[in-house]
This record gives sequence, structure tokens and C-alpha cells, in this order.
Amino acid sequence: MPRIVREADATWEGSVARGAGVVRASSSGAFELSMTIASRVADPEGKTSPEELLAAAHASCFITSLGSELARAGTPPEHLDVHCTITMDEVEARGHLIVASAISARGRAPGADAASFAQAAEAADVGCPFSNLIKASATVTIEATLEEAD
Amino acid sequence: MAERTARVTWNGTLFEGRGTIESVGSGAFGPLDVTWAARAEEPEGLTSPEELIAAAHASCFSMALSNGLAKEGAPAERLETSATVTFVPGTGITKIVLAVRGVVPGLDETGFVEQAQAAKAGCPVSKALAAVPEITLDATLA
Repeated sequence: MPRIVREADATWEGSVARGAGVVRASSSGAFELSMTIASRVADPEGKTSPEELLAAAHASCFITSLGSELARAGTPPEHLDVHCTITMDEVEARGHLIVASAISARGRAPGADAASFAQAAEAADVGCPFSNLIKASATVTIEATLEEAD
Repeated sequence: MAERTARVTWNGTLFEGRGTIESVGSGAFGPLDVTWAARAEEPEGLTSPEELIAAAHASCFSMALSNGLAKEGAPAERLETSATVTFVPGTGITKIVLAVRGVVPGLDETGFVEQAQAAKAGCPVSKALAAVPEITLDATLA
């Protein structure tokens, strides 16, 4: 199998409390974003954070797995919509931990019923590399809703 | 407790269709397109889950290291971190390489490497990715 390599860079200037960082998508050049500690733990005020980047990673990883599972079941999707919420919390004696990733998936897949859509979502959780990794520290929950075809 | 969100849509099949990271809770980025070809072959300007993981890890590590150095009484003037994620389809994410160069007045190389090791072990994204088979760190003073 081919090895796929992707790189990102972050620079940080000054202290954590008063300094600021910039994170860049170095492989693709698709984004360059600033962040601060305040934007990470309090109100984001338009700035991203490591946890938000993980939410985008999990949602985009899961959605490709779900599409692939639905196709495998003979019911390829017309449209999928996935929302991910990552929660970071301070855990006694363990510091800050990413404790949860909640996936909510909706989609239209002609030929699928609610049960087969839910089954595909469960298989997508097993197949998505990011779901597997993040279970080291977090609880992953999947909610799947099949939408009626137009 | 901090909650962060993202919404992604996909239209069409995995290989011929395309997805979009429509928006994130902060509004800091999106829409950003994603495709299977850009994920598995050349990125051609499109991001991917693996690049987003690299971005999350590089930024989390930088914050943790900045915090550790300040607590040590040697705050950094500047930290430059890169994270490189290797993904093997069918196997998963097999490796992450962290590399950091720091401008840290008042700290020697040994002290810097120690703090960098602690940041690698302790940052929340490292803990969340603890199941990655190999995470390496190269830390040097600029």
C-alpha cells in the first residue's frame, strides 16, 4: 500500500498566556490560521484550536468511511452531512484530556433503510482510522439519521 | 470544558465525488474542499484528515512546550514545530514525526529536549493519539 504523508507547521511566539501561534497546512497550502490559549479554552473569537482541527479531521475522515460503507452495501449515498463535536476537559490527576468526540451523520442513500444506514455508520466508525486512534483517550459516539429521498 | 465543532458534507461516490469542510464553530476556516484523490495521491491544494491531524498536533505540542518552558523559568521567544503524519490506507495512521526548533534564552539543549519530551507526552492531542504506533520527536535550539 502507498504511504501517504501530510505535514503541517506551527510557530509560537511569546508565552502561552499572552503569546500567539500560527498553524499552516504545509502539504496543501489550504490554510494558515492563528490561535491563542484563550481561543482554545475560552471563547474562540474567530480563532481555531487543536481541538477544532481534530473535529474537522474526524468529520472528514468519518464521512469518507461512511460513503465507502454505503457503497459497499450497494446503496451509494447521494449526499452526506456529518457534524463532529470534540470535547476537551480537565480530568483530575490527568490534566487536560480530549474526552469525547460526538459524530452526528445525516444522509440520503437510495435503497438504504434506517437500519442499514445505522449499520453502515457503525462500520464507518470501525473503519475510520481517526475514530480508532482517538479512542485511546476519548469516548466516540455515533448518531446516524437517514433522510428521505427528494 | 471546551467544545469545538466542524461540519462536513459529501456529494457523490467516494472516488468521483467530493466533500467540503463547510464550517467550524469558530468560523476560522471553511469552506475547504476534500477529495479522495487529494487525500491518497497529490494534495493539489486540498487539505485532508491527515493534514488536519498534523495541524492539530503541531499546534497542541507548541502550546504545551511554551507552557512548560515558562514554568521552567525559561520562556521561549519563538518555537517552530512541524508534524508529519503518515497514513497507510487499510492499515491506518502509522507514524507521526514532530520536529521543533526553539529560540529559548537561558536554557541549554539538554533542558530544551527535556521540556520538548514532556510536551510530547503531555499535550492533549498526543494523549488522544497515543495509539499511533510510532511518534518521534526531534528537538533543537535554533
